[in-house]
Amino acid sequence: MDWKIAELKELEDKIWRCTACGTCKIAYDYGPPPTFGEICPAGTEFGFEGFMASKGKIAFARGILSGELPWDEELLEAIYKCTVCAGCQNQCQLDHKPFIPEIIEAMRRKAVEEGVGPMPLHKNLLQSMKNYNNPYQGPRRVRTDWTRPFKKAGKPIKDLNKEPAPVLFFVGCTGAFNTAARAVPTSTASIFQKLGMDFGILGENEICCGSTAMRVGDSEEFKRVATKNLETFKWLRDERGVKTIISSCAGCYRAIKKDYSLSSEYDKVMEGIEVVHTADYLSRLHKEGKLKFRGELPWKVTYHDPCHTGRHLNKFIIDHEGKELWKGAYLDVDQSECLYEQPRDLLKAIPGIEFLEMKRNRANSFCCGGGGGVMTGFGDWARKNASLRVQEGMDTGAERIVSICPFCHFNLNEGAKRIGSQVQVHDLTELVDQVLVGCDGD
Amino acid sequence: MSELSSPQKEPVFAATDVGKVDSVLRELSKIVGESNCTAARHIRYAYSYDLSFVKPKLPDYVVMAETVEQIQGLLRFANKEKIPVVPYTAGTNIGGLTIPERGGILLDLKKMNKIVDIDPEAHVAVIEPGVSHAKLADALYKHKLRFGWPVGPPSASVLACAVSHGIGGLNARYGLNSQEITSMEVVLPTGELVRVGSCAIRHDAWHSCLPLPQLDGLFKGWLGSTGVVTKIGISVHPIPPLLKVFTVSCDNVEDIYSYMLNLSNYEICDDLTAVSWWLAQVPIPYPFKPKPDGAPEWFSFATTTSWTEKEREARTEIWETVFEEEQKKKTSIKRTVYPEEALRGRTQLPSQVVGSTKNYCKQGGAGISWPGTFTPAKVWAPVYNKWREILIGHNLSPSVRMSMYRGVHYGMLRAMIPFNKQNAEETENARRAIVECLKVDLEAGGIPYKPPIDFANEINQRASPGYLDLLRRVKKFLDPNDIMNPGKLGI
Repeated sequence: MDWKIAELKELEDKIWRCTACGTCKIAYDYGPPPTFGEICPAGTEFGFEGFMASKGKIAFARGILSGELPWDEELLEAIYKCTVCAGCQNQCQLDHKPFIPEIIEAMRRKAVEEGVGPMPLHKNLLQSMKNYNNPYQGPRRVRTDWTRPFKKAGKPIKDLNKEPAPVLFFVGCTGAFNTAARAVPTSTASIFQKLGMDFGILGENEICCGSTAMRVGDSEEFKRVATKNLETFKWLRDERGVKTIISSCAGCYRAIKKDYSLSSEYDKVMEGIEVVHTADYLSRLHKEGKLKFRGELPWKVTYHDPCHTGRHLNKFIIDHEGKELWKGAYLDVDQSECLYEQPRDLLKAIPGIEFLEMKRNRANSFCCGGGGGVMTGFGDWARKNASLRVQEGMDTGAERIVSICPFCHFNLNEGAKRIGSQVQVHDLTELVDQVLVGCDGD
Repeated sequence: MSELSSPQKEPVFAATDVGKVDSVLRELSKIVGESNCTAARHIRYAYSYDLSFVKPKLPDYVVMAETVEQIQGLLRFANKEKIPVVPYTAGTNIGGLTIPERGGILLDLKKMNKIVDIDPEAHVAVIEPGVSHAKLADALYKHKLRFGWPVGPPSASVLACAVSHGIGGLNARYGLNSQEITSMEVVLPTGELVRVGSCAIRHDAWHSCLPLPQLDGLFKGWLGSTGVVTKIGISVHPIPPLLKVFTVSCDNVEDIYSYMLNLSNYEICDDLTAVSWWLAQVPIPYPFKPKPDGAPEWFSFATTTSWTEKEREARTEIWETVFEEEQKKKTSIKRTVYPEEALRGRTQLPSQVVGSTKNYCKQGGAGISWPGTFTPAKVWAPVYNKWREILIGHNLSPSVRMSMYRGVHYGMLRAMIPFNKQNAEETENARRAIVECLKVDLEAGGIPYKPPIDFANEINQRASPGYLDLLRRVKKFLDPNDIMNPGKLGI
């Protein structure tokens, strides 16, 4: 299987389309009314221009390519002190806009290829992937621990290794191994069972989607697991009748939908398989009138948009041939695949919920601070950044913050603890599960 | 200091030995804290270039200050050690103004970003240097107030634009953004804190620089070479609800000038601007391409705002009168529909689209610079015609803008010139063309603003000896060791 993963040098033309104007440094919308907000977690924390948004990262990329910035520990650290949240990308208007996260990750790939990257803690994570096929150093058998309550209740979850089902619930490593995020898979599976869905999991045979490896620049490790997963998906389609892959993890969802599409075999392998995030799946059912809620949740709730289900799903319209404007011109952005409204619609539909919006939302959402390998590489900063986001949530008057990403879920929880906040962090599925009426009336 | 791409002629602060760097860093760290200062090459590198043709140069240190006291401490130290200091807010100018000519300390002020006060009754705001146009626009709008937002990036500094005589979208109504400054707080190069304007007499009175002697002039237009401005008061203005933009086109610069002169007499516009065909293109063609036959060479948009329909009708009546008068002169003037997106870019400020230089650099390869001048309106036409010849001769587009300032017949005349920064020859070609244009303008009585050193040298060659001597004496008086942004004034 061939992969089209760009090297930094291949992106040189894009890198030189940045004018260093600095529009990327803050979130701004004319309105009226105009809105302003800090958008770059690294810029907010470290301040120096090199850390600031894409302007700073492009400077590093230019210096690395020209040889004016030889590798050293501080440069390496600065390249990894970025959550790759794409907040800066959302502000940029120039031709390199569609490639900004790619440029940042290409620098990391170059660092890994040249033997200087990633950061020491990332190396542990990558070693774990090699040893255990997950970044948490979790033995394979632990991957299914979350399913025990279902077995005990006499409602075991189908094992797709053994029997067919049209839906694969791709659990993801964080939900399976990180006990603080375990509510994500349990609530998801509970919802699916209540809805009477015929779904299954890969159990101990599920392996990491590879998102983390890709984010920290180890494209070889990414390719290894992604290739295996694509082969599994093909087998599931051909042998088990799988037509839909549902994930409750923003990282897995982004990886399968976007990173896997860099494979030469993607279209062939994925033909006939739809990849859906749980929030989107439930939202569709809700719109079709197939979700029934009972009781109410008298909570004040705000919603945090994960980067991986938001702006990372932007589709950029580029004038590749120069037919409309000029070769390589950035023309527009299509946000139709970004999951902005689906979770909000669901929250607003739950009886009793008072929904409150944070100032920075949707495409200008402020990253939780956990992405791009930061939670592993720079845990203290990730927690500190999460606490800023928690505070923003609390400033709305909300008592609970809801999201659709186990990574955000975990990190926001850590951020809340850091500032002694009483705010509770939930995955959307937890709330839906609490009020959803099953097809059998339960 | 470290040079990136060309030999340095000036004597420089040479922080080349590790011991010296370490000892300076230790002192800086005592003043601003360890996390706010660095000598790391990659951090310095990100401050070494901007959009312009000015050659990249590295500072030796980068320092972020969070308080006025830290700036005082820093300048006392730098003055004692004779280390250059370059104040920096966003680095979005297109004249290399924050590229350190002689290395030293680059003082990044982005963390000083407080809006100290907005007085909606007095129409005065007090801001620190790190306050961006976007942040102030957000805050002012809550009071239904506005400022003269420039066409720069929303992340650029309000204070830096104003003290550098930057222009904004309300120039025809209220004047330059520097004319909106009502008071100032400044740390002198020797570390003393001074105030000028009303806030010098009473600490919380920021309403006016007048009627006191205008000492604010010691810090405006000096390109950060006389001190670090830590706060300014600015006039802010109510937002009239009704917008009307009048757009025309002409076949030549003489006709568009005639229209602008006529209309400006009535002082009904917030902004009265004309752009050449090349500047109206998205992007500006690079290299030069000829204008299609039959396309007008000039477009003008006259932005007006009104409180009532009747007021708007009155402005329209005046505009119609001017238009008819111009038609009677048998000029080539025509009513024109300006493209909607372009018009939004001119009226919905601050703008990410315009501010990000989207229109300017896309084909150019990331470089943009200018001859940006304040020029008497009566010579706009002959200067433009010569610029056109020079720029086309260098295979560059004559992408020129002319804007009339408040109540006077002079204004901004500038050409935004994209070029390919990856290529040294193309960059030098653009620099030569721009300097040639500048000479033409200077000979016609224009003066460049936010000038790169090449421009400063041209100004100084033509300046009266008394002016230059006074400039040197004032600079020496305020900055005896020439530490503040040295070299930028060309003196």
